[in-house]
Amino acid sequence: MTDGMNPSLLVFLYGLATALATGLGAIPFLWMRSVERRGAALANAVAAGLMLGACFGLVSEGSGYGRWQTVAGGLLGVLFILATQRILAGREPSVADVADEAGARKVLLMIVVMTVHSFAEGVAVGAAFGGGVALGGIITVAIAVHNIPEGLAISAVMRPRGASVASCALWSVVSSLPQPVMAVPAYLFVESFRPALPWALGFAAGAMFFMVFQELLPDAYEDAPRPQVGLVTSLTLVAMVLFQRSL
Amino acid sequence: MNPTLTVLIYSSVAAVTGGIGSLPLAFRSSPPTRWLGWANALAAGTMLGVAYVLSASEPGARAWELAAGSIVGVLFVHGVQRAAGTLSLDLNRLEQEEAVYGYKVLLATALHAASEGVAIGAAMLVNLPLGIFMALAIALHNIPEGLALAAVLRAQGLTLGHAASLTVAANLNQVLFAVVTFALAQAAPGLLPWALGVAVGSLVQIVMTDLFSHAYRQDGHTSVALAAVSALGMVVLLSGG
Repeated sequence: MTDGMNPSLLVFLYGLATALATGLGAIPFLWMRSVERRGAALANAVAAGLMLGACFGLVSEGSGYGRWQTVAGGLLGVLFILATQRILAGREPSVADVADEAGARKVLLMIVVMTVHSFAEGVAVGAAFGGGVALGGIITVAIAVHNIPEGLAISAVMRPRGASVASCALWSVVSSLPQPVMAVPAYLFVESFRPALPWALGFAAGAMFFMVFQELLPDAYEDAPRPQVGLVTSLTLVAMVLFQRSL
Repeated sequence: MNPTLTVLIYSSVAAVTGGIGSLPLAFRSSPPTRWLGWANALAAGTMLGVAYVLSASEPGARAWELAAGSIVGVLFVHGVQRAAGTLSLDLNRLEQEEAVYGYKVLLATALHAASEGVAIGAAMLVNLPLGIFMALAIALHNIPEGLALAAVLRAQGLTLGHAASLTVAANLNQVLFAVVTFALAQAAPGLLPWALGVAVGSLVQIVMTDLFSHAYRQDGHTSVALAAVSALGMVVLLSGG
């Protein structure tokens, strides 16, 4: 890893950066009360392209250590997301509820839900660092950008109910805080048990591919014209793939 | 075997499999919309997998040529879709439409096939196993794509046999593009990274504008995501084997 800094600390800081990026989603609300749906959809399209490009990088790195292990890990990633969705079905309190009346139980439940949500993203950051600092940086950027529309969505719910921009940003960041927390154990695990690396890289890729296909892309197509979404996603995807190749 | 002949044979196989996709229509002449959703999602997943394999195929290729090629590929497909009027056209309408609608859908398929041809030709030049893999992956991709196209053509009042032959015919320019790309890049090896880039860019653009956008309207997000990610995983698993 880089000279001087404890690698676990570095992974934690990168994970923290992705969480802080979520707060950026509150910024547009400094000058507007509500966000244009089309703008949010195109932000999702950019995030989808970056995430897909980052997944290509994860799969390519993982395949170098073991192709079938990477694909098997991907299967586990997809199953993990499906399982958490099944378990949490109907039990997700929205951030707006908690901001209204912060009952301790509700907050606790929300922290559990967020931890599960951010688990795969945290694992992605940690596992990617197992494949090298460059890959770790790429995945960090992709997840950070993906978090911005999430922060936008949270703020879009809270702001019209009178929450200040600062508290929108704060809750957005809080919703992603499990990411740095999950990234460190994932990193330590793949570092100390190398055979798990392709599995972990595949897990992250599978989970991220699935999130893009299930949420980001359909959300983008719903609120913006198809040609724009297509062009934005394609250009970000190829740009991301080529950026990784040129490193 | 003469390498050009190899390209010709494999790309022909890939073009012909489109006809297989029309077989389920022998049982249900008007398939449930869900089938089309799965077909589009499977086609999207295989195509994205193919784009991934191509983008990772030539570690030595210069990044900026690949980059320029990919951007050309994305913009080229966007431009052709715009010129042909298929950019925001619903390609899977199963109601009786004007004849011009059927032609536009065939045109869109022919454009897909052209990009796939470039992919096969470029991959054959990287190395033979990659080229064969690419042709087989695209052959697989053409089956669900053929199902969607044949369903539209059947809805236009064509017989099953006629719809199946038109599906194959719309894919035939794949052979031409594969052979020409192979021959050009063989004569001028400097073109190879460009060809790879164009293939990656155009395949990605087709996945994003034509395949996913339709799938989400035809089936639930979760089953689209599952079908796409399974097809993608399958392509990755079998690549380079």
